[in-house]
Amino acid sequence: MIANQIALVRREFWEHRSLYIVPAVLGVVLVLVAITGRASISAFDTHVDLALLGATNISANERGAAITAFLAVFAGLFVFEMLILTVFYSLDTLYAERKDKSVLFWRSMPVTDAETVISKLITALVLIPLVTLAIVAATHLIILVVTSIWIGLRGANVWHLIWSSVPLLDNWSATLIFVLSISLWLSPFVGWFLLVSAYTKRSPMLIAILPILLLPMLERSILGSRLLFDAIIVRVVRIPIFNSGEYDSMLNSQSLTEAAHDGISLVSMLDVGGFLASPGLWAGLVVCGLFVTAAIYVRRFSGDT
Amino acid sequence: MSSLVQARNVSKSFGETKAIDNVSFDIEGGRITGLIGPNGAGKTTLLKAVLGLTDCAGSLSVLGLDPFRQRKELMQNICFIADVAVLPRWIRVSQMLDFVEAVHPRFSRKAAEDLLLQTKVSANAKVRQLSKGMVTQLHLSIIMAIDAKLLILDEPTLGLDIIFRKEFYGNLLGDYFDGERTIIITTHQIEEIENLLTDVMFINDGRLVLNSTMDALPEQYSELMTSGANTDKARELGPFYERKVFGKTVLTFEGVNRDKLSAFGELRTPDIADLFVAKVKGVAQ
Repeated sequence: MIANQIALVRREFWEHRSLYIVPAVLGVVLVLVAITGRASISAFDTHVDLALLGATNISANERGAAITAFLAVFAGLFVFEMLILTVFYSLDTLYAERKDKSVLFWRSMPVTDAETVISKLITALVLIPLVTLAIVAATHLIILVVTSIWIGLRGANVWHLIWSSVPLLDNWSATLIFVLSISLWLSPFVGWFLLVSAYTKRSPMLIAILPILLLPMLERSILGSRLLFDAIIVRVVRIPIFNSGEYDSMLNSQSLTEAAHDGISLVSMLDVGGFLASPGLWAGLVVCGLFVTAAIYVRRFSGDT
Repeated sequence: MSSLVQARNVSKSFGETKAIDNVSFDIEGGRITGLIGPNGAGKTTLLKAVLGLTDCAGSLSVLGLDPFRQRKELMQNICFIADVAVLPRWIRVSQMLDFVEAVHPRFSRKAAEDLLLQTKVSANAKVRQLSKGMVTQLHLSIIMAIDAKLLILDEPTLGLDIIFRKEFYGNLLGDYFDGERTIIITTHQIEEIENLLTDVMFINDGRLVLNSTMDALPEQYSELMTSGANTDKARELGPFYERKVFGKTVLTFEGVNRDKLSAFGELRTPDIADLFVAKVKGVAQ
């Protein structure tokens, strides 16, 4: 069972090389942007550029907060990329194997349809976030190393200016928690995409996205209610993992300024307990489970044509 | 020995069309059975049912298992090649071996690698870089390295040239078939597998129209070439199919004593292709 899962998940990475190539390319681009000095953020209403850190006259905590904010923006871009990648992956994975008819070969192996579909779910919900984390961490490290060299060559104390002031482990823990949480939070969409991917004969993207957009609109115009709107559209933009309950609080200048005084911690901005206790999370997982079960059945009967 | 495959009143409908209509048969271990039928006769549907890829009505048991409900257990003891094109095009040969090795308890990687050494398929190549013949060689090498009780080949040589087809069947008989394994094979090129088979089944319009061992065919079926007054006399013996060849009449008989027939003309045993046509068209006549 476990051995099969490992083989199946490995298979997904052989087939869908975009799962690591896309974030790696984004990483390379961001590294280039950062080291050529084209990336900068505005925190504390002060223009902050990594290259300028060595020269700015701020406390260690503030410097840590500034660098963290800088790195978190980059991590945010990766999360955005990860969500797009997950959509494309989960729509393609069960569709592609039918399109190239390799599904007959895969089903000639002693592996159940449930094992196969679950391996794709695990890839989407766990492996893609883990790869994202790994590449976020690598990108952070490369940017900081390059910056260190740049600053070091100018005679500054790199350890003092950068490495001792950035809470890297905290950054990465927060990234890990965040990418896994957002995957679980959006899992009903992944389940729906897998089902469409297993079922549709053409245009999985269109067939998956249209009802998501149209049904809430229809509900509002015909019934006047907004249940689906809340369950679908609002869900995408509001994940209940932040302490203050808002997406953008993570980076707003006020909380950063407050945090900067006593050492920044992204993890402390996340409310994992609250997230795990939210009914919306568990309802979403149930919906995801239903869609995935349906996808397994569809694949089981896919020989019936 | 109990039957490897046991089908009792197996049916499968798609809407109004009956793809398989009340079919019953047994396949014993150690046999090579040819499943022969025209396009749309239900061959592939029947094989899919045997492989657990589709559900069906009636009772079907393969190696004592319910194929649709116990597909995973079944696949540990069954191999199949459904069509030459089914290997995923993006995969590398070495990845393919890695995967099968990981999920298949009866797969011998060494055996597969030895078989591949005899071909031009390199471990680093991707399937999309291989020619159609090489893909089949790869698939066959994997299948032959699995110690399975039952091998099912559905049009395994479709689209391959004659040299490769000969080689394919040569390998199958020489390397794979050891008298204990069981093979079910479908093909349109009946003549090429005729000498391989121990058993033959004809399927037409979802029904089994013939199910016999190859050895029993000469006793059971005969073809009489006759002309003139003899034709009418021979017709009284009840041929089930009749055709004209060079102005003579060829009558096909089932279960009629050869001594009786030989008085009316030239007698021979029909080859599988002729018998197939007679069986399929004879029903219509």
